[in-house]
Amino acid sequence: MKNLKEKIIQADSLEKLEKIRIELFGKKGLLAVEFARLKDVPGPEKKAFAEGLNEGKAALQAAFDAQYEALKAKEIESVLQREAIDVSLYSALSAKGALHPVMETMNKIIDYFVALNFAVESGPMVEDDFHNFEALNLPKYHPARDMQDTFYFNDGGLLRTHTSPVQIRTMMATTPPIRMIAPGTVFRRDYDLTHTPMFHQVEALVVEEKGKVSFANLKSILIDFLRYMFGDVEVRFRPSFFPFTEPSAEVDISCIFCEGKGCRVCSGTGWLEVLGCGIVDPNVFKAVGYEDVSGYAFGLGVERFAMLIHKIPDLRSLFDGDIRLLEQFR
Amino acid sequence: MKVTRSWLNEFIDLSDISNDKLYETFNAIGLEVESIKLIEIPQKVVIGKILSCEKHPDADKLNVCQIDVGLGVRQIVCGAANVINAEYVAVAMIGAVLPGDFEIKHAKLRGVESEGMVCSATELGLPSLGEGIMILDESIGKLEAGKELRAYEKVADTIIELELTANRGDCLSIYGVARDLSVALDIELKSFSYKQEEKMKLGIAREAEIHTEGIMGVNLRYKLATIETKKNSFIVQLRLALVGMETQGIIGGMFAYATHATGVILRAYDSDCFRNDADKIVVRPMAIKKGITEIYGNGAPLGIVGVNQDKKCMANDETKQILFEASYINPGILVEAVFSNSLEKDDLYYKTSRGSNPDLSFGLMYLAFLMDRYSEINCYEGSLDVDTEHERIILRVNTDEICQIVGQKIETNKMVTILRHLGFEINVIGDHLITAEVPLFRHDIINIQDIAEEIVRIIGINNIQAKPLAFFEKIRLNSTSDRYKEKKSLRNRAIGVGFYENVSYVFTEKSVLERYGFSTIEERLELSNPIVEELNTLRSTILINLLNAVKRNVSYTKKSIPLFEIGTVFGSRREQKEVLSFVFSGQASNENVSNNGKPKMIDFAAFVQKIGAVIGAFELMPCTHKNDLLHPYQSADILVSGKVCGFLSKLHPNAQQSYGIPDTFFAELDFDTLLPKHMNAKPISKFQGTYKDLSVVIDKKISYYEVARVLHALASPLLRDIYPVDIYEDEKLGDKKSLTMRFFIQSMEKTLQESDIEAVMAQIMEALKKECEAELR
Repeated sequence: MKNLKEKIIQADSLEKLEKIRIELFGKKGLLAVEFARLKDVPGPEKKAFAEGLNEGKAALQAAFDAQYEALKAKEIESVLQREAIDVSLYSALSAKGALHPVMETMNKIIDYFVALNFAVESGPMVEDDFHNFEALNLPKYHPARDMQDTFYFNDGGLLRTHTSPVQIRTMMATTPPIRMIAPGTVFRRDYDLTHTPMFHQVEALVVEEKGKVSFANLKSILIDFLRYMFGDVEVRFRPSFFPFTEPSAEVDISCIFCEGKGCRVCSGTGWLEVLGCGIVDPNVFKAVGYEDVSGYAFGLGVERFAMLIHKIPDLRSLFDGDIRLLEQFR
Repeated sequence: MKVTRSWLNEFIDLSDISNDKLYETFNAIGLEVESIKLIEIPQKVVIGKILSCEKHPDADKLNVCQIDVGLGVRQIVCGAANVINAEYVAVAMIGAVLPGDFEIKHAKLRGVESEGMVCSATELGLPSLGEGIMILDESIGKLEAGKELRAYEKVADTIIELELTANRGDCLSIYGVARDLSVALDIELKSFSYKQEEKMKLGIAREAEIHTEGIMGVNLRYKLATIETKKNSFIVQLRLALVGMETQGIIGGMFAYATHATGVILRAYDSDCFRNDADKIVVRPMAIKKGITEIYGNGAPLGIVGVNQDKKCMANDETKQILFEASYINPGILVEAVFSNSLEKDDLYYKTSRGSNPDLSFGLMYLAFLMDRYSEINCYEGSLDVDTEHERIILRVNTDEICQIVGQKIETNKMVTILRHLGFEINVIGDHLITAEVPLFRHDIINIQDIAEEIVRIIGINNIQAKPLAFFEKIRLNSTSDRYKEKKSLRNRAIGVGFYENVSYVFTEKSVLERYGFSTIEERLELSNPIVEELNTLRSTILINLLNAVKRNVSYTKKSIPLFEIGTVFGSRREQKEVLSFVFSGQASNENVSNNGKPKMIDFAAFVQKIGAVIGAFELMPCTHKNDLLHPYQSADILVSGKVCGFLSKLHPNAQQSYGIPDTFFAELDFDTLLPKHMNAKPISKFQGTYKDLSVVIDKKISYYEVARVLHALASPLLRDIYPVDIYEDEKLGDKKSLTMRFFIQSMEKTLQESDIEAVMAQIMEALKKECEAELR
């Protein structure tokens, strides 16, 4: 019996072990032969003999099972080892492309306002003088028109210089209350290191009954919005001038590069100018035929946001389709 | 607008105000600080008094000067020609370190000892003040030999550049900026008064008279003076240079200086231009039309008030007798007149169009002070005046309304104080009602919201408490937000299969559009002032821009270039639509271990698969679009739900060659056709279906699309799906090809018998024979 157990333990392959199984446990195997002898054993010894046999069989079965498990594990292990690869070779196989940082930023901005239930509105890129200037309190001779170098067409049409004409179109097409944003492409005739002839803006407008919308409300949403975009920043308002809002302000955030200590990006001031805002000028409401209303409006440049958020140094590289820039955003 | 600290100090005492505080205050009141620059004069640069100057014995161009530098006399060799006219100069002593790390050392110049250097403005880091060394005078304070130049605050000044908004013409002068500061800092303005000594005691009326024609809408004041001697004072030269103003001559400089200081428009005429045959100076202002007042002298037009001046009549340093003109015109009326009459404007128009200072006597007084102090002028007594009463705006202001606009309670008293400081005349009518008469120099203020802005500016926006707006709400999602949502999802799918998003200008080059056969905008609707030739029209396709981007990326050694763009294109009548365009150039993937570093080039099937992963199910049929980027035999129309929504093609080898790029595929689709459509579910059969293959021989020219159309036309309820699985051509087949298709046949009602299936197959074969002249292979 001991010898048999030894034989099982020494089997070093599943094939050998299978042979042993047949030898021992098969129909004509050693155990079967032993059990066949049982009938010849005299009565009084029969019980002891049977017990001995059963014990022996159980011990052999246990040894066999253990050896089988061990050999099986060894075989799987060798199969696994044969399939081994250097996984690190495959890290560069991702085929995912990337969103353009300006569009990704635009989406993030839109998401915020849609979550606050602002309608998204749009309008044509080719505009007329009325919607782009006149209705926005920018008469032809207004010096503020100097700020906006305009592309004109032979028939007197123009490329919108801001997304504000969408405000005018929306106000003329609907009635208050209004809560809208106008994301879009805008154009200025300017081309140098910090200006491209085309860029993107998002504009927001809220109109309610007279006396309802205040500068304090404007501050509230802008502080929340800018922290959503830039994280935990300080927000500063400076009085400014836009023909279509009054009072107007420019809004700065504490510099996200130096945390307000002063660096090259913020020209040492610790602040970054990010948007313009104000209470809608009564002349704008007059131009669209609104009476007894109040409202606020603000607008921002998406490229500036994208460049600040992603630390992109060169504005013009954004319009080059340069994969070296884009693949960094995969 | 540039101001300097010491110049502001002439009008407001800033001695207790730090530069940081100034910066903060300017920004808070809406005068944005663009930059602050401190003039730093190096140490050991002192005032020197020149005692003598002699020619260098061995060098023509050098002078040997004996200069009192306080502690003694130093011999200094100087190369500047103007040193011989100088009394006081700036001397860099031995050991001084000038900008550019230039240390002054003991020197011997052509054998003559030199113990220091007489400095020019640029050598000290100041802007250039002309040729030669800098000649000082007491306009910067009492000059003491040996005193450090940096101790003179008018030299070691601070230059502050303000970015003024278009409405703040009142701050286009040193005085105007000081006035706004005085309100914000609560410091009274210094009173500036100067009584000119009128040496001649001759009345102006003896020499000159004024005759107006028409109804005057302007204010004019003329003074007459003869110039005996004139001197260019150092402070005028220095400050003009510090604020970056270029002027001509001594007279030109003084007038520009006085205008910049006071905001009053001052012009200098040669009085001879006005002298008539009777030897009398006659000034004739003529009201031509609204906003245009032309000044005539001796029958000739010499200028338009607020707009320009005939250059021939400008007084210069040779002029013996000068007629000074101070003028004011309402900027609102002026700009409209200038715009509608296309008048030619000179430099001062910038100030007049934004609102100049109407206090003419202040400007003339400042000018007289300047001239008297540094030059010798004989001024005639009195002046020739044209006075116009300008309409004053009086606003009735409900202070509660201001509080509503601001969103915060502000006491009426506080508002009254702020407005009075700003120059408004206020009458308190009731607890919450005042009238405010707007000062003439604030023409930008016309309504209550302008008043609110003034209040906000002075109390500080940062002192307003933010409050959320409460409102009743209804859902505001609309078709535009749906479009944004769909664009976002298309974008995400595109990047999921490896495309990079491109954003390019909606401009392109017209000749390139024409070269490749794309539509262009009709001439009458074309851009009239493009910025550059390459961007001279609006694009009718994004593909040109994408191919340019591919070309750039090839030059950046990129080998696999997948780009897409969602953007706007324009039809020939400038109608606007949005398209989704793709381009894939070069390798289908990057080099990696699974392709042994030899990736396949992009091909038709791989490209189609990628497009499908982005836009969903579509059919391809032979291309009906026409342009010269299309490959004639590898191009297709893309059909979604049976409608053509764009095209897809290999790039034509000619175009590929001229762009110098590898194999390239592209597609352009109309975005509107890709918007999600409403879908209804169809029932799914419970019975087993069968696949059956069929090979037919047909003419090479017949596309699979036509074959499929024939089979779809059968409208067999059992024929559920068709897949083309193989195409085979060889010489034996000649003009024909063998097409193998697999059909999926299934019934909604029962398990099909073999005979049912055969009937369908027979029907298929029959239709193909009839419509496509197909034969069983």
